[in-house]
Amino acid sequence: MIPVQDLFASAPLLIIGGSILIALILEMVFDSQSSIVAWFSGSALLFTAYWSLYHLYDRGFAFNNMISISGRTQLLFFIVNFAAAVVVMFSMDYIKKIQTNYGEFYILLLSAVLGMMLIAAARDMVIVFIGLEQMSICFYVLAGFRRKNIKSNESAIKYFLLGSFATGFIVYGMALLYGASQTFSIPEYLAHVETLKSNPIFLLGSLLFVIGFTFKIAAVPFHMWVPDVYQGAPTNVTAFMSTAGKVSGFAALITFLSPFIDYSARTTGSAKFFMPFLATLSVLSMLYGAIVALSQSDVKRMLAYSSIAHAGYMLIGLSALSYEGVDGVLFYLVAYTLMNLGAFGIISILETQDEKMLKIEDFAGLSSRSPLLAAFLAVFLFALAGLPPFAGFFGKYFVFVSAVENGMTWLAIVGVISSVISVYFYLRIIVLMYFSKGENTEVVSVPKSALLGVFVVFIMFVIMSAFPQKFEGIIHTIGLLTY
Amino acid sequence: MDLYLILFYFFAIITLVSAFFVVTTRNVIYAAFNLMLTLFGVAGFYVLLGADFIAIVQLIVYVGGILILLIFGVMLTNKITDTDIKSGFLNRVPGLLIVGTFAGILIGTLLKSTWRIAAPLPPPVAGLVGIGNLLMTEYTLIFEILGAVLLIALIGAASIARKQSN
Repeated sequence: MIPVQDLFASAPLLIIGGSILIALILEMVFDSQSSIVAWFSGSALLFTAYWSLYHLYDRGFAFNNMISISGRTQLLFFIVNFAAAVVVMFSMDYIKKIQTNYGEFYILLLSAVLGMMLIAAARDMVIVFIGLEQMSICFYVLAGFRRKNIKSNESAIKYFLLGSFATGFIVYGMALLYGASQTFSIPEYLAHVETLKSNPIFLLGSLLFVIGFTFKIAAVPFHMWVPDVYQGAPTNVTAFMSTAGKVSGFAALITFLSPFIDYSARTTGSAKFFMPFLATLSVLSMLYGAIVALSQSDVKRMLAYSSIAHAGYMLIGLSALSYEGVDGVLFYLVAYTLMNLGAFGIISILETQDEKMLKIEDFAGLSSRSPLLAAFLAVFLFALAGLPPFAGFFGKYFVFVSAVENGMTWLAIVGVISSVISVYFYLRIIVLMYFSKGENTEVVSVPKSALLGVFVVFIMFVIMSAFPQKFEGIIHTIGLLTY
Repeated sequence: MDLYLILFYFFAIITLVSAFFVVTTRNVIYAAFNLMLTLFGVAGFYVLLGADFIAIVQLIVYVGGILILLIFGVMLTNKITDTDIKSGFLNRVPGLLIVGTFAGILIGTLLKSTWRIAAPLPPPVAGLVGIGNLLMTEYTLIFEILGAVLLIALIGAASIARKQSN
């Protein structure tokens, strides 16, 4: 029997799950040109985001301890649902513009969110894995949604092949984890971490599992797919993949590493299991992402490399294996999601039907073509560069502080160097927008729903930038409640 | 050497050799038939492990269903049967180095470590009834979300295959 409180605890999952089915029926019943599926999915996602925020301090286990609802889970629910709702707003006009106005776009989006929420709530490795598959299958299809476009096809097939390869690592790792511990339950790992940490099979399995997810968060050297996939996929899909997709990759890593984080916190840092591995990936990602982004001429490709660098910054927080580090990563994830959503949203508005306006030089003189969009984009780019007073700066600050407190000052220094390098390519666009004249002087026509999306993200972002301490306090409190 | 071990090595050799040919052969039909042997060998492992139900499902679904579909697909597609698969090698030396190191670490660790075979395993679930009960009680969530995964795989496939206007 399933107790009623299980159903209540997993309400966000059930709402999204039910919405998928309702959206399917709506798509069948109504005319394909009406945007009822879009409106319905958008409101379901917004409602779920609100629900998770409202129940932020609830906690509980459901379905035989296979999922847990804690503050962190609710926060992750909120991020992915909010991101998806904003992507729905961007998509309503965008998918008409690229002539792929099909209702299943929103159904696939909702299903991807269901997978992400499962990953965020999982307390059992099988759930993590199934959630990951659910999310990835939707991404493979969404990346190739523009089927007549050769780049979109390339993006889908590349993502599919490399994603399956990464899944292979994860499954193999899980097999070894089960062989060493005879359980998939994360609370069980937590209880037996003393014996498991000296078991080579368990460590090998953990390593394979973590490698699989570093593919998903796009950290060097497992980043090969990122530039091509982000460039080829429709821009609204890229906005979703690069934010919510990355959030769930980190959610899985935090969930899986939580026994080790807990152990190293209890024994005052005597055991830093994955520190060397994660720190190496972090350094490589930060430097590689920042340096290669310098030479890009396509703005989506540039943001793809910048997202690799951001994965590196967040890995700093994880490699510290401390509670503060994880809090920093969560703060960073929220900030990064908002900034990147905003930036990609604006690019999706500017992009023309024949894929123009994606080169960096196309942004010249944007401030006279659309002062509002140029101003928003400037703010998001400043924030991505990590300049104060925006939330991107505080994210980096919290992550770097956790590294310094755990005796990894050198890692923080590399992070600062890489941030300084990255300022160049973000500011280049801002300089082009404001201080040079472009050949194209046509006024940009801005669809209302997409502008609303950008505006919502901007408001959230400003609130977060204005009260970083308060926000960090909330994350810290719910983090303490999680264990 | 008891019968169990002999059977184990029999299935192991079938699986490994046929899997090797699936990857190396340049003919699609040969690859498909070798894949059948691989899947059959894996079903043998399931029987040896006492998981009869999974073994039967493996045979019915993979050998009986998916593989037949694959061969039908090859048959019905024009001029694919006699086309060589064009797969080359890139970066032979670094690739070999990485794969070698990786395999070395894996095999080394697996050989050196002690497996907890003696540890008390949960009592095996008896037959279909037991599996059905577990799926409806302890593993309800997994059962349900697997349904969602299959649904979305169907929708995704239909979405890729649909005729796009314009």
